[in-house]
Amino acid sequence: MLTRRSAGQAGRQRLAAAYQGLASGGTDRREFLRQAGLGGVGLAALGTLGTQVARAQVAHTVPDRAVPARRIKNVCTHCSVGCSVIAEVQNGVWTGQEPAWESPINRGTHCAKGASVREIVHGDRRLKYPMKLAGGQWQRLSWDQALDEISEKLLQIREKSSPEAVFWLGSAKFTNEAAYLFRKFGAFWGTNNIDHQARICHSTTVAGVANTFGYGAQTNSYNDIRNSKTMIVMGGNPAESHPIATQHLLAGRELNRSNFFVVDPRFTRTAAHATDYVRIRPGTDIPVIWGMLWHIFENGWEDKEFIRQRVYGMDEVRREVTKWNPEEVLRVTGVPEAQIKRMAQVFATQKPATLIWCMGATQKTVGTANVRAFSILCMATGNVGSAGTGCNIFRGHTNVQGATDLGLDIATLPAYYGLDEAAWRHWCRVWQVDYEWMQGRFASKKLMETPGIPSTRWFDAVVLPRDQVDQPSNFKAMFVMGHGGNTVTRMPEMVKALEKLDLLVVCDPHPTTYAQVSDRQDGTYLLPICTNFETVGSRTASNRSLQWGEKIVEPIFESRNDYDVMYALAKRLGFADELFKNIGVKDGVVVVEDILREINRGTWALGYTGQSPERLRLHMANQQHFDITTLRGAKGTPVEGEVYGLPWPCWGTPEMKHPGTHILYDNSLHVKEGGGTFRARFGVERNGETLLAEGSYSKGSEIQDGYPEFTVAVLKRLGWFDDLSAHEKEIIGRVGGENIDRVSWSTDLSGGIIRVAMDHGCLPYGNAKARALAWNLPDPVPMHREPLYTPRTDLIPSLDQAAVLAADPNAPAPAGTYPALRDRRGFRMPHLGLTVQMRSHTVAREFPIILTSGRLVEYEGGGEETRSNKWLAELQQDMFVEINPADAAERGIRNAQYVWVLGPENDARVKVKAMITERVGKGVAFMPFHFGGWFQGEDRRRFYPPGTDPVVLGESVNTVTTYGYDPVTFMQETKVTLCQIRSA
Amino acid sequence: MARLKFLCDSDRCIECNACVTACKNEHEVPWGINRRRVVTLNDGKPGERSISMACMHCTDAPCAAVCPTSCFYGTADALVLHDKDLCIGCGYCFYACPFGAPQYPRVGNFGGRGKMDKCTYCAGGPQQDNTAVEYMQYGSNRIAEGKLPLCAEMCSTKALLAGDGEIIAAIYRERVQQRGFGSGAWGWRTAYKQELTV
Amino acid sequence: MRDNPDGKAQARRRFLGTLGFAAVAAPAAAFEADGGTGGLPPRKETEAERRAPRYRETDHVRAFYRTNRY
Repeated sequence: MLTRRSAGQAGRQRLAAAYQGLASGGTDRREFLRQAGLGGVGLAALGTLGTQVARAQVAHTVPDRAVPARRIKNVCTHCSVGCSVIAEVQNGVWTGQEPAWESPINRGTHCAKGASVREIVHGDRRLKYPMKLAGGQWQRLSWDQALDEISEKLLQIREKSSPEAVFWLGSAKFTNEAAYLFRKFGAFWGTNNIDHQARICHSTTVAGVANTFGYGAQTNSYNDIRNSKTMIVMGGNPAESHPIATQHLLAGRELNRSNFFVVDPRFTRTAAHATDYVRIRPGTDIPVIWGMLWHIFENGWEDKEFIRQRVYGMDEVRREVTKWNPEEVLRVTGVPEAQIKRMAQVFATQKPATLIWCMGATQKTVGTANVRAFSILCMATGNVGSAGTGCNIFRGHTNVQGATDLGLDIATLPAYYGLDEAAWRHWCRVWQVDYEWMQGRFASKKLMETPGIPSTRWFDAVVLPRDQVDQPSNFKAMFVMGHGGNTVTRMPEMVKALEKLDLLVVCDPHPTTYAQVSDRQDGTYLLPICTNFETVGSRTASNRSLQWGEKIVEPIFESRNDYDVMYALAKRLGFADELFKNIGVKDGVVVVEDILREINRGTWALGYTGQSPERLRLHMANQQHFDITTLRGAKGTPVEGEVYGLPWPCWGTPEMKHPGTHILYDNSLHVKEGGGTFRARFGVERNGETLLAEGSYSKGSEIQDGYPEFTVAVLKRLGWFDDLSAHEKEIIGRVGGENIDRVSWSTDLSGGIIRVAMDHGCLPYGNAKARALAWNLPDPVPMHREPLYTPRTDLIPSLDQAAVLAADPNAPAPAGTYPALRDRRGFRMPHLGLTVQMRSHTVAREFPIILTSGRLVEYEGGGEETRSNKWLAELQQDMFVEINPADAAERGIRNAQYVWVLGPENDARVKVKAMITERVGKGVAFMPFHFGGWFQGEDRRRFYPPGTDPVVLGESVNTVTTYGYDPVTFMQETKVTLCQIRSA
Repeated sequence: MARLKFLCDSDRCIECNACVTACKNEHEVPWGINRRRVVTLNDGKPGERSISMACMHCTDAPCAAVCPTSCFYGTADALVLHDKDLCIGCGYCFYACPFGAPQYPRVGNFGGRGKMDKCTYCAGGPQQDNTAVEYMQYGSNRIAEGKLPLCAEMCSTKALLAGDGEIIAAIYRERVQQRGFGSGAWGWRTAYKQELTV
Repeated sequence: MRDNPDGKAQARRRFLGTLGFAAVAAPAAAFEADGGTGGLPPRKETEAERRAPRYRETDHVRAFYRTNRY
């Protein structure tokens, strides 16, 4: 039931006439849609609505005027901005959405996704009851039967192949409580093979920034950008990915008449609102940053005092930067000197300046190095640790920050404690389980302390030869809670691995790509999980603020919440009593607040300890009292002086009333007001040079210089030990046993050491320099390395030169080339670098176009949820590829026709529509990553369980993306590969 | 008395389509009917600008002038509403409208289009306020509740303004003064026979 | 903040809440694009009622104006 096409065009002409002088040739994305897809996919999809959806009888009764509407507040489940959602509920039905004016984050507003979240609990396309695949057919079964069968199979696999044979894939859509519980669940099962979307989102940011400043998170906040005089968005497109953040960017731009640079290979919707747009060749971020620093150092624009007091190793950066003179920068990146120089001067001199980045920086083989270079630029110019400055890292999913913080990760326990024995002992104390019992859950102590296999490589761990995977077994089973199947690269290989698994369990509101993309016949289970609108819990926005969401409606259909399903499964697997020792469960219903209280009792090192459920609820009830720029609670209100959402670190116990930390490392504030220093995380000295801050300290600090992190020994040396209360000493005694001197601020379960440090105005984690030089990383100073698949074969070694490099680990890179890292191993797996890069020499001719990928505003992640939402699906009905007009003309491709995009691995190909646009430069193509349901030309709609197929299906870009992993985190390369495009 | 208007600040609009889905959500507008949409000019090129478009509730509305059944009526708030019971789906209003606002539920010619549907400024139609039958025919009536159109209320970047024409014009002028630029109030001359001068 | 300007807000959605049981309230039944009334009897306004002003500067509306300023 769509408008007639001819009339629609007439209307548009009229519209254009109304805005004479503005309308121009070409098509926009919607117009493209109308011409290309209207009546096609859309109508077809709509046609299935009526027949496939099991519709309950609609009681069309006379309105009941006695039923009042209840207003319930939750948080949007889509991105990390954390917009408040106000639901009006009548008779248990969510009947309306109202603007939340009082939220300091969104002030009533939403993007297309947020304004349509009510549809999620209409749930036409939701998974309605547990199902299993038997003989290629979907069968309905009861929850009990499904859980019995699943747990029986899991225990068999555990028995036969060790606990390491199961891969547990969690979610950035979990609440904090569910993320923590799932990580804990993995530990009690006996494996570190547990991961979530942060791997493919900002894992490199977390690693890179933590290795620089001490914590791996956004240093400031969305709101604080209103203070910036200069903004650079590099590798991000907030206008589509974080629209409500853009509200603050644009307000800041207007209030301060600020400089707004967008650095990106695409002229994004964000770029359309920038003062300056800088187009770069994909994969050349480090040369751009070093090119800026070249001008900064050349002209003395750096902040010398900041560097002297608070930065370690800047001289080594200077040495690397000297290579990046304007000619070399132009040769590698394609950016002319004038643009780089202007951007450098403005960023260094028109302060405060902030650098904003997203996946464009992180999803690279050099992701960790990229974000380190970005951080170094901020440090060199003194743009960190104060209002309007900082690394404003926009994270993706609603709770990817919180899930990362709570250790849903292969390499650490909650709160970044790591996996060593001290970390396990700490958490066993918090969980009140015996350390030896915990060790007995694992195949060995060594595996207990070894990082697991990341989500980007799980399928390799299924199909690689046995001796290539450093654990007792390949993966035999995968248990997925809330993760799309089309978000990881190299899908054709993933599909083969899916077909090889003995057991696949998908717990999700939707079937996800995993349910239909392979030709599995048996052993797949789908368990319907409700959304976060149908349960309670907290989530951490990108700015580290925690927000508590209340349940809007009961879980729809037969769906259940994450907590209760984990409990029911743990019970069957035999460790529920231990797992839930301090967490209440009544009739199978988990008390979610108890989980947060346990988090509060253990996460000292991160400051997730002060955010009790009561304090979070108080903030949600008093949103209107927080300032929109400073996020501080107003005087005379119940939240006076506190920062909205108690952004971590919120030190000590809830009773200590720490206000939370709005801006990290801000030494103009007292620690008790949320002030900070750089963290002393990497020792106190290196090669005779101090790593502690010099002459810089936070306001009110009694130690007016750098200092190490606090332990009992440090307290004793300072004569502060007896500031601890008898009760605190008793707890410290229990933690430390024989040797209490080693008990530190992060393992002291009383919070006493933190309290005493703060009473003396000190940061419990110490006061150090940030590291421009991170000696523990593969590239201690970030270095440009060409993408593995690059069209610039002149910038990589020849095959002969590469052979020399491979043979000699100390051989330097040939002049003028930027080779990938040599092949190596990591995370129990082989990790290829240089070998794959050498393929460029052979494939670059056949696949001459650089392929990059990114987001659309209407959809999110793998897109199953949003493509099932008809209000969103209507807006974007076709998967497409953006092609520059010159590339299209060379290939005889017309706008909106079908084309094949061919990838250089696996003979992979996808059939998508061509969108011809100057948005991408010549030689670059772009595809969004939210589509699924088609695979290499085949529409797989019929393989979904009936009635659960999303409205819109399309090819996944990750069918044609290729090999390539960051050496530190195994982040996948999604932003630079090669492709060829042909008419279909 | 207030003259209600829409104003889209195209220097703020990022084409996020919140206005479009807010409208769908508020009124349960079915697939294929677009009371509001976002139009992007110079897509992908320097100068790219987006404008959120719907019925502008024009002064001396051309749709009303051409309607053979006189189904349109103006309210004291200067909204242009219509009576679907009178509409014959002739499509004249569509051709008269400078903003492409009228929508039709069916494909066809000569009256086969079904009843015209368009933006009501979240003010329902000629049934009693907020009755089930009003919702069924026209969607919800936020104006009667003391609210404004949800599209504007939820606009991600505060680009789309609705409400008393004097007040939103003042807000827009303040913005232009603060930031030092402004592309003008799109469509105001056509809809309201008036330029917004800063 | 509860902004419920005049009590009418609750009335608007009352009938939606009775449309069916939670999850599967079929949205198509809530709005008839073709101008049908879903079988409900008409409750037509008089000529004067139709044209009567309804806009009021409530707290809700003022909050909208306020948040549209800087």
